[in-house]
Amino acid sequence: MALKDSAPDQTLDTLGRVCPYPLLLTKKALEKLGSGQMLKVLCDAPASAEDSIPRYCEKNKFSFESVKLDDKGYWELYIKKG
Amino acid sequence: MDSTLAFVVSGLLVGGALGFVLQRGRFCVNSAYREVLFKDYTMLRAYVIAVVVTIIGANLFEDMGWLRQADETGAMVAGTLYRQSFVPWANIIGGYIFGMGIVLAGGCGSGILYRVGEGNLAYVVAVFGFFFGIAMTNFGILKPVFETLTSYQVFVGEEEVPTLYNIIGVNKWIIIAVITAAAIPFVFKDNPFQKAKKGYSWSLVGLLVGIVAVAAFWASSYFGGNARGLSFTGPLRELFLAVTMGDSKARPALIQSKSLLGANFSWSSLYVLAVPFGAYLSGKLLNEVKLKVPPADELFKVLLGGIIMGIGAQIAGGCNIGQGLTGVSTLAVSSWVANSFTILGNWTMVYFLLIRPMKD
Repeated sequence: MALKDSAPDQTLDTLGRVCPYPLLLTKKALEKLGSGQMLKVLCDAPASAEDSIPRYCEKNKFSFESVKLDDKGYWELYIKKG
Repeated sequence: MDSTLAFVVSGLLVGGALGFVLQRGRFCVNSAYREVLFKDYTMLRAYVIAVVVTIIGANLFEDMGWLRQADETGAMVAGTLYRQSFVPWANIIGGYIFGMGIVLAGGCGSGILYRVGEGNLAYVVAVFGFFFGIAMTNFGILKPVFETLTSYQVFVGEEEVPTLYNIIGVNKWIIIAVITAAAIPFVFKDNPFQKAKKGYSWSLVGLLVGIVAVAAFWASSYFGGNARGLSFTGPLRELFLAVTMGDSKARPALIQSKSLLGANFSWSSLYVLAVPFGAYLSGKLLNEVKLKVPPADELFKVLLGGIIMGIGAQIAGGCNIGQGLTGVSTLAVSSWVANSFTILGNWTMVYFLLIRPMKD
């Protein structure tokens, strides 16, 4: 099942935040979550949503999915701690 | 083509291309430096590629005689790269202050400007703060500090600007070969030919930024009368002054100006104006442009960061692009020193703003 189809344990809203807060807040939230739990992040900073956050997840081997909402101009990121 | 038209069009094209590439490539020198502390070197590798491409390209253009500049009479003669004089105290202190400012402002000199095109109003605030910091240092209450710090100047020999090659007295291409040889293993530690899952790969971004930087050296010399290349601090100051005071007040030794709409615009002020529009075009095509604003406390921090950036950049003689890419590529000692201290300032602020708060 795709990550986006299951209910997140926490939702983090970083809309409007400047670089690097979306990444920083995501890191902070993930540290508090246990393994197997999922975080959903709303992010509208392109460099964070498409570059720094996915790269951070890849490095930490967290499952990552991204849905870009073209009509709203932001991304929903689904991150599951391994 | 009419010379005024070529002047305007070339400036807008270079700036537009830069904004487009920066937005598309998510290029950010601020995060290139910052992520080193978190042991992620991807963006730093992109930056290193951009630097090496610019060093080789700019010096090749210079040695092949492809640059030109205006002499005292306005006639075009063979040109050289603009190498900044070495003012150690200003380069060190200004670079350090600037490095701290970019963390607070959420973007470097290029970052805050191109992100205006993505619609986050915080960056509009950052750009205005940046100009405010520049102006207070160049003309206002910090002018005495600026003048004191830049009063001690170091030369090589009689009156030569120190460069990495003339301080040890070797051919500049030996230094370029050494830098390139050092960069290659670092870049190839990751796979530069790996295709990105999305958008441009980091290596392509570095290459494109380097190509635009070299093109800017050529265009600024050919159409603007001097090989000033890409920078943000001076050009942004010139743009704001042209719009508000009617004159860019650019030194002709640096870049030429032309009268448009009753105001005197420098070539660089036109290029810098086009950067957010290039980024807007790229963002629009990707459906990423949206008007947005951060919480009030963050907006305030960004304003403060922008002002600090402006003070630092004016003192140091440029930002992460003016010194960190363009200046570094001319191999001037001043630029290498200023950029090194920008990195240190960045790390200091990252520690206090981002690492320490994470610990609780």
